[in-house]
Amino acid sequence: MTSPSQAAIAGAETPGPDGAGLNSEPVDGDKAATDQLGRSPGQLMWMRFKRDRTGVISAFVVLIMFAIAALAPVISWLYGKDPWTRYGQIRPGLLNDNAYPVKPNGGMDSEFWFGLEPGLGRDVLTQLVYGMRTSLSLAVVITILSVVLAIVIGVAGGYLGGKPDYFLGRLTDLMMSFPNQLFFVAFTPVIGALLVSPQDEMPTWLRACVLIFVMWLLGWMTLARLLRGQVLTLREREFIEAAKVAGTPPWRIIRKELLPNLVTPILVQSTYMLPNFVTGVAGLSFLGVGMQGSTPDWGRMFATGAEVYQSDITYMIFPGVAMVIFIVAFNLLGDSVRDAFDPKSGR
Amino acid sequence: MRTARVSVVGLAAGALILTGCSSGGGGDAGGVSKDDAAKQQIKYEFGDAKDSTGPAEPVKGAKKGGVLTVYQRDSFAHLDPAQIYVSDEGSMSTLIHRRLTSYKRDSAGKYTVVGDLATDSGTPSKDQRTWKYTLKDGVKWEDGSPITSKDIRHTFERQFAPFISEGPVFIQQWMAGASGTGYRKLLPDGPYKGDHLSDKVLETPNDKTIVFHFKDPQPDLPYALGMAGYAAVQKKGDTKEKYDKKPVASGPYKIESFKSGKSMKLVRNTEWDAKTDPVRHQYPDSHNIQFGVSFEASTKRLVSDSAENQTAVSYSNQVDASSMQSVRSDPKVKDRSLSGYQPYVGKISFNMDRLKNKKVREAIAYALPAQSLMQAFGGSGGGELAGNYLSPTVAGHTESDPYGKVENPQGDVKKAKRILKEAGKTGMKLTFAYQNSPEWSDFSIAAKDNLTKAGFDVQLKDIVTDTYYDQIGKIKNNYDMYHSSWGADWPSASTVIPPTLDGRQVQDGASNYSHYNNPKMNKEMDRISKIKDADEAAKEWGKLSDEILKKDLPDVPLMYYKQIQLHGSKVGGAVMNNVISGIDPTQLYVKK
Amino acid sequence: MLRFLVRRSLGAMVILLIISAVTFFLFYAVPRDPAMLACGKNCTPDALEVIRKNMGIDEPIPMQYWHFMIGIFAGRTFAQGACPAPCFGYSFANSDPVWDTILDRFPTTVSLTVGGAIVFLVIGLGAGMIAAWKRGTFADKLFSTGSLVLSSMQIYFVGPLVMALLVFNLGLLDQPSYVPLSEDPAGWFMGLLIPWMVIQIIFTANYTRLSRSSMIEQLAEDHVRTARAKGMSGKFVFFRYAWRGSLIPIVTIFGVDLGSLLGGAMITEWTFSLPGLGKLAVDSVANTDLPMVMGVMLFSATFIILFNVIVDAAYAFIDPRVRLA
Repeated sequence: MTSPSQAAIAGAETPGPDGAGLNSEPVDGDKAATDQLGRSPGQLMWMRFKRDRTGVISAFVVLIMFAIAALAPVISWLYGKDPWTRYGQIRPGLLNDNAYPVKPNGGMDSEFWFGLEPGLGRDVLTQLVYGMRTSLSLAVVITILSVVLAIVIGVAGGYLGGKPDYFLGRLTDLMMSFPNQLFFVAFTPVIGALLVSPQDEMPTWLRACVLIFVMWLLGWMTLARLLRGQVLTLREREFIEAAKVAGTPPWRIIRKELLPNLVTPILVQSTYMLPNFVTGVAGLSFLGVGMQGSTPDWGRMFATGAEVYQSDITYMIFPGVAMVIFIVAFNLLGDSVRDAFDPKSGR
Repeated sequence: MRTARVSVVGLAAGALILTGCSSGGGGDAGGVSKDDAAKQQIKYEFGDAKDSTGPAEPVKGAKKGGVLTVYQRDSFAHLDPAQIYVSDEGSMSTLIHRRLTSYKRDSAGKYTVVGDLATDSGTPSKDQRTWKYTLKDGVKWEDGSPITSKDIRHTFERQFAPFISEGPVFIQQWMAGASGTGYRKLLPDGPYKGDHLSDKVLETPNDKTIVFHFKDPQPDLPYALGMAGYAAVQKKGDTKEKYDKKPVASGPYKIESFKSGKSMKLVRNTEWDAKTDPVRHQYPDSHNIQFGVSFEASTKRLVSDSAENQTAVSYSNQVDASSMQSVRSDPKVKDRSLSGYQPYVGKISFNMDRLKNKKVREAIAYALPAQSLMQAFGGSGGGELAGNYLSPTVAGHTESDPYGKVENPQGDVKKAKRILKEAGKTGMKLTFAYQNSPEWSDFSIAAKDNLTKAGFDVQLKDIVTDTYYDQIGKIKNNYDMYHSSWGADWPSASTVIPPTLDGRQVQDGASNYSHYNNPKMNKEMDRISKIKDADEAAKEWGKLSDEILKKDLPDVPLMYYKQIQLHGSKVGGAVMNNVISGIDPTQLYVKK
Repeated sequence: MLRFLVRRSLGAMVILLIISAVTFFLFYAVPRDPAMLACGKNCTPDALEVIRKNMGIDEPIPMQYWHFMIGIFAGRTFAQGACPAPCFGYSFANSDPVWDTILDRFPTTVSLTVGGAIVFLVIGLGAGMIAAWKRGTFADKLFSTGSLVLSSMQIYFVGPLVMALLVFNLGLLDQPSYVPLSEDPAGWFMGLLIPWMVIQIIFTANYTRLSRSSMIEQLAEDHVRTARAKGMSGKFVFFRYAWRGSLIPIVTIFGVDLGSLLGGAMITEWTFSLPGLGKLAVDSVANTDLPMVMGVMLFSATFIILFNVIVDAAYAFIDPRVRLA
């Protein structure tokens, strides 16, 4: 799993409500300033982002990764293999007596581009593509849920103030004090056991739900804290005061006045949270409490890789490199998004 | 009555650390010759007083001194002999505990049951209902006091105490003439509340003599007494539950320190006298045992043979499945490896209460891919395809293969599909429970694949490793099939067939996992148990087990377990001992 | 200061209490009977009864929780013997006292964490400062890009790679292992070198990025610029003023990291099979060893909370503007 500091760093660097993303006042005073007049913050952000070459490339890489994951069945169909067939066991001559690929480099050849999985003899390429699909879907769902919960708790705490704020703040503290890795490892099986009778197979969707639930439970606090702080400052600003005086109902103030101003930190934080959840889910699988059985899973490929690496390091390289590329691209994208919203923050 | 002890740390795929080539995969598998099967199919004989006299035959080139580092995966949960049943604890216990009898392996690989604390392997009466043992002179506890028949009486009486729950129960059952846990009624509180076994059961007329009286003939008693679970416990030093952490030693080593889950240090027991012991040596100054070293980690360390690992060994850690490749393809490492059978037979047990249709069971038997199981355990280094219930380590083993599991290791899906169709059960739901360890997870995936193709609707149910046998041991489990492994306690099929197939033994937690109950076969078992000639009995057991397999098919045998163990280059005397199914720790020495 | 500490400790107690209750009750909801497991294969109802009693699980669950909590402060007595405070009970799996086991494993985790932290702090802060100092140069770009890639690595990927390279390809080092520092300092150092390096690879990157950005921020601050304008030397300003100011975010993050690492670096310990708290936790979960899981959970949580307090207190020392309230 990722170090907690990554999440925290992301939090520390997120622009505040005074960031340039909110006031369209030109900052650098160069030629670009003239172009920027009369455009919405969103358009400005988009313009700045388009000029950031690294950002565009990394966004492209991230999109490709998501596309690969989403199109896994198509890829599998074009490539003619699927992640479930045990090619190495069914067809003689692919795995040797010790259940390792006969051909060097993990059995890579023109037929099995990324080689074969030692033991079961499944195709690595389709395993990886489908595995990414599993992990990325989980991470996206967890991110969305965490962001929603963080918005609810952060905005409620910040806007209501007083007692509710105090209790929500203590709740946040409490959740932050849970040793999170230990919590995941200890409670994923527990929650599973609570929901499924010991005699039945746990359906894949339910296991996915349990994973999502556990990660979600401890995934929202950083953003919630950040949003609370921002709402606290925003609450004192004139336009909110004005809306209040004009008798606007609170719900409308939150929706029309507060939330639009929170889009920046939410967007920036989400781009940091998502890769963290990807590695978090993979870490759980590595420790053996993630997805099971024949469901292809990115993280479980590391667990298998760690078992076989002394004889077949090739197997681990593909999921490993794919993950590094994904995380690097996502982090660069996060930085670019932040810069686009807030050109002041130096990189 | 022995089940394979499988990874407690099934949670994760384990730690890593191994050697090999970074080019990954590829190349030759490295062969293990098939003839180690023949070598291991040995006969065990009962030794006389001469065989039982110490000192033990010296190991060639052995020298005293040095410190042995020992890597073990699981910490020893029990040190109290009466609680010791699993094989890794059994290995260690040969160093610290002595028993009435022991198994002696000579340099030619021949095994004899000899007297250990006793002067010989035992003197039976003609009807083999009464057995007499005499203690040797000069056998002592670590505190220097002599081991007497009072200690031996106490050893057996405390086996009945409620807190003793893990050890073997053969002798208690024989004494009480009861099956299951019914033996506990004979002495419900053990010796602790003033009750003792009567002279009609266990007689100790003087300090040296012990006489066992049984209701039925017990030709196997010398084997049973050689089990680690029947090692002697000092009456004076018995601390009941606490004895499990700090027992009194009688063997060549005693415990200097024991930190559960972490480490254990064994040092020389100066009160042990080599002249009284026909089996053990006392070469190294100490054994430094490290716990929590996974199979992967110990393999990696021993393969590397770096300075500190040259004097290292493991009693029971095997080469893990995924490292077979690197061990078997490197000749230098292969030289330091020992390969052999484990006593276990891996089977798929059918829940006969649910799968009543034999056609369905047959279809499953044909469909299952035995090859996948072998590959999950690392290929031919980890197992061998099985055709029937009796492993090559058990007398009476034959090559019969009624369901073509050896001939057709990928499983015959077409045939299975046809049979299932004939039975009219295509599309039936089938729940397959498996232990959540990497090996069985892999196999379950392959099995589901084949069974689905044969027309079953397979539901896989993974069970946490530590509770697996408890779950499938419940009679009212809701699974249709599950895997189970069983190993003989001594090389006679009498410790394989009745415990796993006698229908009168069906109860919660009992090892008849398929709930098979055929009165005709039960009777047959009773008849064979009473045959006094070992060879004849072996043949009869073989016939009976094949008949059960062919006619009723309560379990499908898939694999005879094998293992490879490694030792450092400066460790001498490493031999595979079939009785403890691992490296014999009493023969090891440190090369200078 | 005193008021601050009292208030925070009270808060911490409440949080620990809640964590313990959540852990305890959730764990007991699992349909697994630890007594059944401990009872073994020759189990009888009588024996089961005895074991239930010995484990203290014959009472209703709320009572068990009550006794458990009392035990932590006052100690309690089990069949295995008296258990002095702080008593977390005995392991269900092997009957060892939980507290002793935790104390026994803790040095491994401390060695791993503190050793790793020293390496990544020194390298990370150093590289970050150089990058900030030489902003825009080749060195800056190298450090920035490098740290970005490295921080995207995962222990379960880098660990095997590093071991594959150093241990079995080049044969430079032995497999990681833990030897107590007091027994064999050299062995301790060599045994933990690889884990330190791997932790370092992953964490250094974060600290490089962090220290670079906060250093740059500091250099733009008014008081730093003023000092520069007054004619103080660049180096002096850099080290005397900017460095100090840039420490605040680093201390925060470091506190968070250290606290959670001390509570058990699970994946690291698991990857290198080091017998620390993290590995103990994973093993205990696998064994349904409730007392052990409770013990480690509370121990880890205590560290996380403790370091949060320390971080807050440390602010005051680094930045006199911060007042503790």
